[in-house]
Amino acid sequence: MVMELEDVPGQLIKALEPVARFGGNIKSIMHQRERKTPLGRLPVTLIFEVDERTRLKQILAALKEAGVRVVQIGEREGAIREIVLLVGHIVHTDIKDTIDKLNAIKGVTVSDLNLAIGSLGQESSARMTISADDKDQASLAISRLRDIASKKKLLLITPIEVVQ
Amino acid sequence: MRIIIIGFGKLGKGLCRAFIQKAGFLRDTYGLIPRVVAVVDEFGAVANEKGLNPTKLLKVADSFGTVARYKGGKRGKLAIKVIDEVSADLVFELTPTDIHTGEPGISHIKRAMQAGKHVITSNKGPLVVAFGELDLLAKTQGVEFRYSASVGGAVPVIGLAKKLLVGNEIKEIRGVLNGTTNYILTRMSAEGVPQDTVIREAQELGIAEKDPTLDINGIDTACKITIIANSLLGMDAKLRDVKVVGIRRINPDAMKLAQEAGQTIKLIGVARRGYLEVCPKLVPLGHPLAVGGTLNAVTFELDLAREISITGFGAGPMETTSSLLGDLIDIHCTLGA
Repeated sequence: MVMELEDVPGQLIKALEPVARFGGNIKSIMHQRERKTPLGRLPVTLIFEVDERTRLKQILAALKEAGVRVVQIGEREGAIREIVLLVGHIVHTDIKDTIDKLNAIKGVTVSDLNLAIGSLGQESSARMTISADDKDQASLAISRLRDIASKKKLLLITPIEVVQ
Repeated sequence: MRIIIIGFGKLGKGLCRAFIQKAGFLRDTYGLIPRVVAVVDEFGAVANEKGLNPTKLLKVADSFGTVARYKGGKRGKLAIKVIDEVSADLVFELTPTDIHTGEPGISHIKRAMQAGKHVITSNKGPLVVAFGELDLLAKTQGVEFRYSASVGGAVPVIGLAKKLLVGNEIKEIRGVLNGTTNYILTRMSAEGVPQDTVIREAQELGIAEKDPTLDINGIDTACKITIIANSLLGMDAKLRDVKVVGIRRINPDAMKLAQEAGQTIKLIGVARRGYLEVCPKLVPLGHPLAVGGTLNAVTFELDLAREISITGFGAGPMETTSSLLGDLIDIHCTLGA
């Protein structure tokens, strides 16, 4: 996000505190002193990560309350990635349908798929990367995939840390 | 302390060896003198209230295949009779596990408790089938009941939770609780070979049993999860309450796909109040549960301490003796206190 700060001491700390308070992980800060706005403010570009959209909302509200002017927000979605494995007759049970059903969830995309076709009569294996905007959507996608896997008699192997 | 040992296979013999090796240590450190007054195996029994000679017991059992050949020994099914008739303070119930009936373990444990004898067991059967009943019986009879060796072998899962973590609320316990399947998965991951090949290799090495179905299908892990749920989470769970998926369908391709993403596949048991599960999971390499070979590993998720993980050997007579002996010393100290 890009913020415009007054050119007086203590402004940067005022802008960063809400980000830290609501669990934002700051990746970079660019303080562009040479690009002062006509009103004499300094544009500051801040890149940070949050694990949930609600956190972002809380940060924005707190910045507003602190009188920090936010002029631009550029979100990069799909920040949560979950890797899962599938074992079974993945192709014969219509892999396209499996992917389409996941992509149909708002904020969820299957962003990577690696398939190892089993030899004749053997089961195939796949590694799937599911990208989601936040943790809730990621766990919704996993639970949807669990249902699909159960119907298609596929073994779903999920990450150990995923919330059921 | 006067002790009856029921079941004189690898564990019973291992325990006897520990009594010989650690006699001085037990006496000097804890004032504990274990006196084996009766031993029962599948073919017979021997009893002597003055105490049997552990070295001689091992020699007779190894030479003749039964302790019945010890001086004064008898052939026949004598466990209940020995438990009822021989004066003793404590019974080690070390017979093989039957996860369906829990027998003969349940009968042995009940009779021992009814006779006012403390009980230590490694047998999962009675704990899976009748945990609540046995736990209650121990309380009403005023006897001590310990079963550390039933979960995790040498890894002190029960003891750690019941003794050292008592100030915490346990939110979840998860872990690698079966050394055989962990060995199989580790070898598949290292060599990229099919499961059947690794199972044969494990059988040749004595790591897998002739019929490893209970391990491969995740049932052994499910038994341990049931015991953990009952003993540490206060649940009244049965084996059927655990959702179980084994490792049968894990193939070298799946393992390779996991590795390419910096992960490995482990058979993980999970116990959370109201949710019990055993299934293969993706575990990041370097994670506390990504242990290799026949190792077991357990993570406790706690309200105060957050996470605590322990790892160690989950099977083997000497390793399991660590838990059996620990229980004995614990009871000795509890009674003395």
